[in-house]
Amino acid sequence: MQLLEVRDLTKRYPTFTLDKVSFSLEPGYIMGFIGRNGAGKTTTMKAMLNLVHRDGGEVFVNGRSFFENEQACKSEIGFVMGEFDCYKNATLRTITDVTRRFYPDWDQGAYETYLRRFALTEGKKVKELSAGMRVKYALALALSHNAKLLILDEPTSGLDPVSRDDLLDVFRSVIEDGSRSILFSTHIISDLEKCADYITYIKGGKILASTDVLTFREGYRLVSGDREHLEVRRPKLVGCKEHAFGFTGLIRAEDEEAFRSCKIAPADLESIMIYTEQEDSHETTVL
Amino acid sequence: MKQLFYKELKLCLPVQVPLFFLFAAMLLIPSYPYLVACFFTCNSIYYLFNQSVGNNDTLFTALLPVSKAQAVKARVRFVVTIEMVMFLLLVPMILVNHRLNPAGNAAGTDGNITFLAAALVLFTIFNVVFIPAFYRDENKSGKNFLISTISVFVWIILWEGFMIAAAVAKGQVPFFAWVAENLDAYPVTDSAWRIQLVALAVGALIYGLGTCLAARKAVRIFEQVDL
Repeated sequence: MQLLEVRDLTKRYPTFTLDKVSFSLEPGYIMGFIGRNGAGKTTTMKAMLNLVHRDGGEVFVNGRSFFENEQACKSEIGFVMGEFDCYKNATLRTITDVTRRFYPDWDQGAYETYLRRFALTEGKKVKELSAGMRVKYALALALSHNAKLLILDEPTSGLDPVSRDDLLDVFRSVIEDGSRSILFSTHIISDLEKCADYITYIKGGKILASTDVLTFREGYRLVSGDREHLEVRRPKLVGCKEHAFGFTGLIRAEDEEAFRSCKIAPADLESIMIYTEQEDSHETTVL
Repeated sequence: MKQLFYKELKLCLPVQVPLFFLFAAMLLIPSYPYLVACFFTCNSIYYLFNQSVGNNDTLFTALLPVSKAQAVKARVRFVVTIEMVMFLLLVPMILVNHRLNPAGNAAGTDGNITFLAAALVLFTIFNVVFIPAFYRDENKSGKNFLISTISVFVWIILWEGFMIAAAVAKGQVPFFAWVAENLDAYPVTDSAWRIQLVALAVGALIYGLGTCLAARKAVRIFEQVDL
């Protein structure tokens, strides 16, 4: 059974539409949710949790309809939206004391372990924490009530590289028993390369791809060549950057044959995202 | 839901709420429009909502395992608790007021049971005007408080004006004489007790129905709001 299933989730704004977003996630995996700023990542996450009123679609958590069992489903979800930005004059102790009462499965031992791991002091007020520490506190709360599903919006922004790496280790350890999953959005694609099993890519409110990382990367190739190679093959390029000696670009794997005379390399997630975002605008960056 | 009530108490309660209960002591002033004392409770409730905006309380609450409807209902219950504490504090103040000033209040309604009914109507007006408007757009809480303040003061002026008119014209108009004797006086006769208790029951009914309607409307609005 899927731990998370999003079906045709739709939200219409005057200038933007989240258009029938669908994807699913099995227990025991990490899914990276990627897309440009304004692509609809946060709107999708908020609509999934009923924070944004949806115009259509369904969300199932552990086989139950979220919107028909909101309270029970929320108990099984840990949600983090960037840094913890509430009750700035309250101490972490007070906020935790309030929060834990809402979760019958609150694990005080796990909470204290995360406090130590993240070097958080309970006696401090929220306003006394740095941006990175606020993210860590939000994660400590989300990780301490035995949530089956963690939905994290930009959890690694604001963290230094050591903390980010530590956090990715935490993510791996959270899912290793095979019963829990993580959906997280980020702009730091290198974080996904390190820990994501699946990728869901949203562009302009529509899902472009939702598949495992290997299949996603195998669907593209990076090519480079000189300018004379470029002109005849330009229509087959997903995106491209020109420079004094030629070009570097992204192609679909099925078009590899047409670029045999060029240098071809496996595509990484960041390149796929950068060049794909050029596709609609037919941009060509000239360096 | 007791967890939400606990959250209101530990994380949301501004200092103005307990502090402004002291305005119940305004009933000890010999001549004063006593309903104004109740307005300060509304003012402290505004601080509760306004501080919640600054604390991102709405989003924090929405992420807890509760529905939007439960979040709104818990806040309304907390508001009702604050108003009922003020209501209960007014009772001993009325008794002391009568001891200190047995001749009654020249500047408006006397401290009596009818006054308590008028206080309940005042709270109802505030709840009906302010609470649903807050959930429509919490960033406009200042404007919504201004509108609710104007509504509350229209009631204060009408009520206190009516009582002053009754006191002034009781010799000329029989109805005003009846009002002055039965509604705008400390109840001494059985008839005055009965009439004032009926007034209190009507006030309580208005308060109960009005606040329930305000809560239902706020829930309906909040369900459609995007956070």
